Amino acid sequence: MKGVSFLRLAAISAFAAGIAFAGTSHAGVAEGKKIFDSKNCGGCHQVAGPAKEKSIEDQLAKKAPELWYAGSKFKKEFLEKWLKDPKPIRPMEYYSLTKKNAGNHPKLDGKNADEVADYLMSLTSADAKKAGIAPKGGPQGRIIFEKKQGCYGCHEVSKGGSTVGGLTGPTMIGIGDRLQPDWIYAYLTNPKVFKPVKDMPTYEGVLSESDLKILAEYVSSLK
Amino acid sequence: MVGKATCVIAAAVTVFAVTVFSGSTANAASAEANYKFYCSQCHGLEGKGDGPNATKSQPVSPRNHTSATEMAKLTDQDIVNVIKGGGAATSKSTMMPPFGKTLADGEVTALKDYLRKLCKCKGN
Repeated sequence: MKGVSFLRLAAISAFAAGIAFAGTSHAGVAEGKKIFDSKNCGGCHQVAGPAKEKSIEDQLAKKAPELWYAGSKFKKEFLEKWLKDPKPIRPMEYYSLTKKNAGNHPKLDGKNADEVADYLMSLTSADAKKAGIAPKGGPQGRIIFEKKQGCYGCHEVSKGGSTVGGLTGPTMIGIGDRLQPDWIYAYLTNPKVFKPVKDMPTYEGVLSESDLKILAEYVSSLK
Repeated sequence: MVGKATCVIAAAVTVFAVTVFSGSTANAASAEANYKFYCSQCHGLEGKGDGPNATKSQPVSPRNHTSATEMAKLTDQDIVNVIKGGGAATSKSTMMPPFGKTLADGEVTALKDYLRKLCKCKGN
């Protein structure tokens, strides 16, 4: 009996230690949320889903991209790096057609940036499903991106060492380091869950499922 | 009573169908609001073809919607087709994207009317 009790105690201890250990890997989430709140990041970025926008006015009233699915969208390494040294992702100010992005997003120091990244990575959406999308460059995707649809009409890309394309969409330069491939596919196939009102056309039902998959693979390969 | 109830149900089904199948879950916006939100990115806020996406590196220039000469070449149906299907719908550049799954049919028709006001012209 004594032996059984000892085993049971050992098992409980191991279980508790496991929880404590697992807990340390998410220690930054609570701290990150504190920093996020104390700096009033939520004043510009929506962190509670689902999306609420119903009209163009609703979308234009937003000051910055929503982050309620940031953990499904971004790569953690990117967030950690970007928060320490933010560079414009959109050439224009958020949803502005007249003002260039001034590149004045607040920056965080090392530990704070890492903890806010931990917090943002905890904000996920069940609609960003695993789809097994892997980065894949090549002519098939490029033809869809450049010829079948003129994606670079709004999204700048790097071509032959030069930056070409439009300015109203987020840049495609470095997008492979920035976004999770599965999220790119989820956004292309089910955009209204994430952004019910957006200035980018809906391609779901325009491009075939196969083309959307190839496009997501191609976009996630762009550097 | 039965007639009234049937009528209410039919009305509810119609509202549901229009909402679900109109091609847009967002509230329908005025033609001017839609134009300034979607089209002006390339065509400019006044329709002169000078939106922020009209950079020098683009392979084609966005059409100047205030040009009666250019716009009179397009029939009303051409304009509707281009908005819904993109440039490819009229054998033009695919840099003009398709909005058929973004805008409801009524919004596209209203945009066509708005373009006719911008060019102060009719289609041939």
